[in-house]
Amino acid sequence: MYPASQVNPDIELKGNVSGKRIKLTKAKEETKRFIKTQRMGVVSLSIIVIIILAAICAPLIAPYDPVAQDRAAFMLAPTQAHIMGTDDLGRDIFSRIIYGARVSLLVGMATVVISMVLGTMLGVVSGYFGKAVDMVIQRIMDAIMAIPPLILALFIAALLGPAIKNVIIALTIVNIPHFARITRGEMLRIKEMNYVEASRSAGASAFRIIFKHGLPNMMAPIIVIASLTFGQSIIAEASLSFLGIGTPPPNPSWGLMLSGASSYMENAPWMVLFPGLILSAAVLAFNLLGDSLRDFLDPKLN
Amino acid sequence: MSLLKYLGQRLVYGFIVLVIMISFVFIVMRLVPGDVVALQLAGAGAVSEEQISQMRAELGLDLPVWTQFVDWMKNAVTGDLGNSLWSKLPVTEMIGERIMITLQLAFMAIVLAIIIAIPAGIYSAMKRNTWIDNTIRVIAIGGLSIPNFWFALLLIIFLSLTFNWIPPLGYQSFLTNPIVNLQQMFLPALVLALSLSASIVRMTRSSLLEVLHADFIRTIRAKGAKEKIVIIKHALRNSLISIVTLIGLQIGFLLGGTVIIESIFSLPGIGSLIFESVTKRDYPVVQATVLVYGALFMLVNLIVDMAYGWIDPRMRPS
Amino acid sequence: MVNNTILKVDKLRTVFQTRHGVIDAINGVSFSISKGETIAIVGESGSGKSVTALSIMKLLESTGQITEGKILYNDLNLAELSDEEIRRIRGKQIAMVFQDPLTCLDPLYTIGDQIVEVLKIHEDLSPADARERVLELLNLVGIPDAGSRMNSYPHELSGGQRQRVMIAIALACRPNVLIADEPTTALDVTVQAQILELLKKLQAEFGTSIILVTHDLGVVAEMADRVIVVYAGTVVEQGEVREIFAKPEHPYTDALIKSIPRAETDRNQPLQIIKGSVPNLHEMPSGCRFHPRCQYATDLCKQEEPAFIDLGNERFSRCWMNDPEKKDHFIDVLQADAVVPAEAEAANAPMEKEKQLLLKVEGLKKHFPIKKGLFSRTVANVKAVDGINFEIFKGETLGLVGESGCGKSTTGRLLLKLLDISEGEVLFDGNNLASYKGNQLKEQRKKMQIVFQDPYSSLNPRMTIEDIIGEPLEIHQIATGREKSIRAGQLLEMVGLSSGDLYKFPHQFSGGQRQRIGIARALATEPELLICDEAVSALDVSVQAQILNLLKKLQKDLGLSYLFISHDLNVVKYIADRICVMYLGKIVEVADSEDLFNHPKHPYSRALISSIPVPDPTLKRDRIILEGDVPNPANPPSGCSFHTRCSFAKEICKTDAPPLKELTIGHNVACHLF
Repeated sequence: MYPASQVNPDIELKGNVSGKRIKLTKAKEETKRFIKTQRMGVVSLSIIVIIILAAICAPLIAPYDPVAQDRAAFMLAPTQAHIMGTDDLGRDIFSRIIYGARVSLLVGMATVVISMVLGTMLGVVSGYFGKAVDMVIQRIMDAIMAIPPLILALFIAALLGPAIKNVIIALTIVNIPHFARITRGEMLRIKEMNYVEASRSAGASAFRIIFKHGLPNMMAPIIVIASLTFGQSIIAEASLSFLGIGTPPPNPSWGLMLSGASSYMENAPWMVLFPGLILSAAVLAFNLLGDSLRDFLDPKLN
Repeated sequence: MSLLKYLGQRLVYGFIVLVIMISFVFIVMRLVPGDVVALQLAGAGAVSEEQISQMRAELGLDLPVWTQFVDWMKNAVTGDLGNSLWSKLPVTEMIGERIMITLQLAFMAIVLAIIIAIPAGIYSAMKRNTWIDNTIRVIAIGGLSIPNFWFALLLIIFLSLTFNWIPPLGYQSFLTNPIVNLQQMFLPALVLALSLSASIVRMTRSSLLEVLHADFIRTIRAKGAKEKIVIIKHALRNSLISIVTLIGLQIGFLLGGTVIIESIFSLPGIGSLIFESVTKRDYPVVQATVLVYGALFMLVNLIVDMAYGWIDPRMRPS
Repeated sequence: MVNNTILKVDKLRTVFQTRHGVIDAINGVSFSISKGETIAIVGESGSGKSVTALSIMKLLESTGQITEGKILYNDLNLAELSDEEIRRIRGKQIAMVFQDPLTCLDPLYTIGDQIVEVLKIHEDLSPADARERVLELLNLVGIPDAGSRMNSYPHELSGGQRQRVMIAIALACRPNVLIADEPTTALDVTVQAQILELLKKLQAEFGTSIILVTHDLGVVAEMADRVIVVYAGTVVEQGEVREIFAKPEHPYTDALIKSIPRAETDRNQPLQIIKGSVPNLHEMPSGCRFHPRCQYATDLCKQEEPAFIDLGNERFSRCWMNDPEKKDHFIDVLQADAVVPAEAEAANAPMEKEKQLLLKVEGLKKHFPIKKGLFSRTVANVKAVDGINFEIFKGETLGLVGESGCGKSTTGRLLLKLLDISEGEVLFDGNNLASYKGNQLKEQRKKMQIVFQDPYSSLNPRMTIEDIIGEPLEIHQIATGREKSIRAGQLLEMVGLSSGDLYKFPHQFSGGQRQRIGIARALATEPELLICDEAVSALDVSVQAQILNLLKKLQKDLGLSYLFISHDLNVVKYIADRICVMYLGKIVEVADSEDLFNHPKHPYSRALISSIPVPDPTLKRDRIILEGDVPNPANPPSGCSFHTRCSFAKEICKTDAPPLKELTIGHNVACHLF
């Protein structure tokens, strides 16, 4: 112990202030700053929230059963009864779009979460430990990336057969390398920071360095990539469904709806228009959110 | 290190990655339920066990996976990629015909994207925060968000409803009939170029703006250089590294996109080939196609690396 | 001086759009420069010195704008010129040299191309003529082998050579005014001496007027005829260089000059400091901007901004004390000042106790392999540290000095085993750390901690100060929970901050405060040895003195030992008891600090010490200017690695590496001359 004379024994700790509370206050402040500075971000976030709510409350919103066929309402143009028209089996397009959001969001969410967790784990380990571990992981990632993403997804999905679960597996494998690559780079950068050296000289373990210093400081790029990946996964699910190897019919999926519509596009353009429109709007919202998060989190712009 | 040695190293490295990739494909295809023999005999009604095993032997599928793999690799190294399990045609022949279509499509898309996107990106950066810049940015992010197959459908609907024109069906090669070929290829290439050009615009703009903040730009301005020289000669050239990197990465997406676009425009490219053969479990064809994609990817990477060296003296192999 | 003025800046005001609104970067900056004259604009970070320089050239970022004042160049007001008009002036009439020659040259073009570019902009030249001019310019700035060098790219040149190229570009069109913005700050001290010498030579040849922007008072004393002192965006004092140094009028100038350690500074006295830190531009103090840090400040200073008072003979000062009418405001403070001794606090008394060995380093080596190819074969080694020996005694400060790439920082990291040791022993209290691993190493590291240079990257931006200082406490289970908080608070108070700062994040602190936090963290495990790796190099001069005083105080109070690594010899001289001089991975000389400074033996030490610019304009010394740059440590010269730059080199120096020999007690030199 250092000489007691040098240490002030009467430290006054502000009783009710704790580290946790301070972090909470900081999070609140950051949220306020986001709302103030990122108008596009707020708008896109609202769109996303609306889509999520619509998906959750689908039975309350949708006027018709999304799979119920109605011979009498065969390929109707938009009317008051069917605001987006009906398809070749007489199903209500608006209702199918609402229910379709469930598939898109489920696939997007599952893909992003799983590939983010696995990819980040691989990337961080690769970047922190380097050497042989890094070499092996990187070559495997290279091999995955050497196949065009959609082709790989198609290969896996076609092998496994049409099912939402299989789409998620396929898209997860495709997206892991993105997260792995970015987090590896971040880990390499953070590893060289003085605060990590200080932590190491204080005797910190690899586990501590990765979780206390590594991950918290790479959240910004991870969040941005996650948002962009979400949008891309929605497109990929639609593409696979369009090709008939994604979501199996009669599930309402946006891609599947477009696939069915393509045969009737001259006679019933609304069958092409509306599902595509909502699909694009959803992806756009995630892309815009990603962009505005990037601006918001970029230390250079602050 | 000489250029030759460098190329040699890249080749070895590429080979390793290809081997990992192809073994993954090879093994996964045989592990997953669904068997080519069962598919081929599906229409034949009742089939005896004997028939099945006889057929397996014919197709060489009775051997252990490991042996099959080694045999296939041995042949592949000599350039023999086997025959299709369905049509019995040599795989190289099947791919050879189709790959030209896909390559032409990809090439046209890249050229289109570059022609549209780089000037737009520069303009956007120069007019930063004006309405022109904002418009370009909105279009770019829109282009990134619209699925290309939907865009393709919309284009077809639009052309047929307003001009009563649809691209001629039935593929003709550029060599036999260049005009029909271009009529057929232009639209799909344009569709493929959409998201690529969107990302190039964004990258050009952002990296230009970043380079314009670099210290050396101030030196050039301090020399009294005109803004045009600052931007084109210095800032753009310094941004090219990131633009080229992006194009290299996006080519994967582009090639992936061809599958769906080829199916919409009825083009018999390699994309539709892999789609059909995975479904039919035509192992040699799938393996060969994946190999071709991988090799293309390696080639693109090599070209990108060469471009780095050409752009930036610091990245030349010394 | 009549009408010899070439450039006159009058009440210049430049503002920036930021997210804190519109802020003044500079306001009310006035000065002039005559033909062939050198003026220095001196100030700390955020003083507006660089903005002043960029405003003259109208090279401000798009968010910056000149809103008031004139910049008269031969009766032409540059502030009013259009972009096209100012473009014709830039590079031709007024040219500029920037701080970091690595980032200031376009990496994609050869240096020849980059010099030709400026010639082509302003003159009509045939390619052959252009080439001729480039060769001439490269020769002029002292780049050997110009013919082939002109085809080199910037990354193929050393820092010193790049700065020569920058000067060649600036002088290509024979401008009348050269603005040099921190031209030597990024360079090693021996290279700095070369560049300053070159600037003087070229000025004598062409009669160029030089505006030298710098934070280094040594460089000012060396180069300037007149000095403009800027603080917080405004000029606080101006005058002839000898007068400024001999009798500074403004309290800021006075304190600034006194806060830098110099060769003759008494090591046993604390340095004079300026309290607090440079204010942020968006939180400018009212009245006189210096008042919160000024020891003489009165209510008048808080309320009213003083005018720029003409003291005659081109001397100006912006302080109320210089206003004869306001003098009576200061009678009290000045009297009080006369009574109170400068600093009541006593610094460390020279310790003449029995020396107890704490750390012994023997044959320490660190070779970084250069790997190439697919299987990462090692093709060569960078011998960053190549067999060094030294000891540190308890309660002592050992200084480790040398230029960039000499291996001093690597040495610091090796002691802590932040890098793997290639060879050799590190004996701490008799335990060889080189062989330690796991928990054993963790226990030993507790006794040895490190303080880094960069106050920004040394604190995790996502952690509160409590977590940062608490981390070592947690790891070693010294304290947890509330006890941890209390301990962290005590540590903060030990380094002069308040325990109320525990629940803040690093970005809420200034550079100097962050450095204090870094020290507090290092002290958490109660180490016996602190490794200070350029711990004050990134700080403003006025803050540097605070940290040096803190380190001295902590050493005295806690009985710490320091390994103080720095490139700044004066700082090392002030803080260290003994000094090791390193060159290319080897120790070339070890001696007591006084002894080393007064009687340097090794030719490198001699050159190094004589290269330091001394903040005293009356002192004109004969410099030893080394030629060339430090060689690449991947490919060091044979024999004595210094022989390529040594003017005494003999045949034996090229073949045999000299061992470290003891000349007198405690003074060791590695040189064949002795």
